[in-house]
Amino acid sequence: CRASGDGKPAKFQPPPKPVIIDKQKQRTERRFLSPEFIPPRGRTDPLKYYMERKDMIQRRKVFNIPEFYVGSVLAVTTADPYANNKSNRFVGICIQRGGKGLGATFVLRNVIEDQGVEVCYELYSPRIQAIEVLKLEKRLDDNLMYLRDALPEYSTFAVNMKPVPYLDHEEIPVNKLQVRMKPKPWSKRWERPKYNIKGIKFELPESKMKEAQKWSQPWLEFDMLREYDTSKIEEKIWKEVNEGLKK
Amino acid sequence: MRLSVAAAISHGRVYRRIGFGPRGRLDLLRNLVTALVRHERIETPWARADEMRGYAERLIDYAKRGDTDERAMRMANFWLTEKDLIHKLFKVLAPRFQPHPGSYTRMLHIPNRDALDRAKMAVIELKGNPLPPLIRPRRDSEKTLLNQLLKGYREDLHRAAAP
Repeated sequence: CRASGDGKPAKFQPPPKPVIIDKQKQRTERRFLSPEFIPPRGRTDPLKYYMERKDMIQRRKVFNIPEFYVGSVLAVTTADPYANNKSNRFVGICIQRGGKGLGATFVLRNVIEDQGVEVCYELYSPRIQAIEVLKLEKRLDDNLMYLRDALPEYSTFAVNMKPVPYLDHEEIPVNKLQVRMKPKPWSKRWERPKYNIKGIKFELPESKMKEAQKWSQPWLEFDMLREYDTSKIEEKIWKEVNEGLKK
Repeated sequence: MRLSVAAAISHGRVYRRIGFGPRGRLDLLRNLVTALVRHERIETPWARADEMRGYAERLIDYAKRGDTDERAMRMANFWLTEKDLIHKLFKVLAPRFQPHPGSYTRMLHIPNRDALDRAKMAVIELKGNPLPPLIRPRRDSEKTLLNQLLKGYREDLHRAAAP
């Protein structure tokens, strides 16, 4: 307590009020538009994609499809007439997201009792009862099909894995894991530049790597007509989806 | 469901097969784009001009981003084989087309080539070039009957509106 010079009792000084800086509003809002909303380049009528989008928004209002990327671990419960509780739970790492519109799929991979299992689920199928994201993260590639030729430890995930909590306003962590492979032969020649894989630790001799570079096509990155600029389309679809979900 | 297509069917293929393979096709189009940027009007077979048109317009879109942009500079470096044209692209053509959002080229037909192949030819030019115009839009002369009648109608309107 404070000893005052003039003998009066010390006046109560309240502690300084804490200043709350709302970091959520300061950081730019993270937008995530699921890749199956973006229509592919082609000559199909945009009406088809518009109708599909309406149905997708309708389904999303009833059932929550969380945000996830290739490389995140998901647990999916589907309705199964032949199972005990009429439902079936599968945990796995998402290796590929394909398809556009209502037929969008994602493939989950896991190794169960030393047997690799891959299941392809449709996002908008009415049989799916719940999708939980156990671990949300990105990897260096868009397509993790090379996990089939990698050592099984990289594809095993416990079935009763606890969900890893992630904060809402932080950026998605990118797992820069370099995967070690089984000895060759592989299902595809992953060292070739056509696949553009960054997530494998190649332990092949230098001569093999140089020979694989013979199939590189350096002119492909300069071929301007192959580029598909989706920024404006994404803006429009983002607005449309948001308005649809708010109603 | 995508099944593998037989090589002889080309439904939905957008790129023509010209030159020696995909590399040769890009080299050929690169030469044509360089020539277009240099001379601003060239005469080539119609198919080559058609392929080249898309690439030329996208190159100008890249040039509009400005020459500080790393990607734009790499594209211009690849597509223009004569390096003095990079300066022309960024300093002359990009400001010229800055107000326009879209088409920067004009493609017109030409009588078939005189050589043995009688190839279908086209002339492709950048709009706003300093050369004399290719087509002069001709308007009907004033002495035609319809134009005289219209002129009389306009004069009547003026006389009715004036007092």
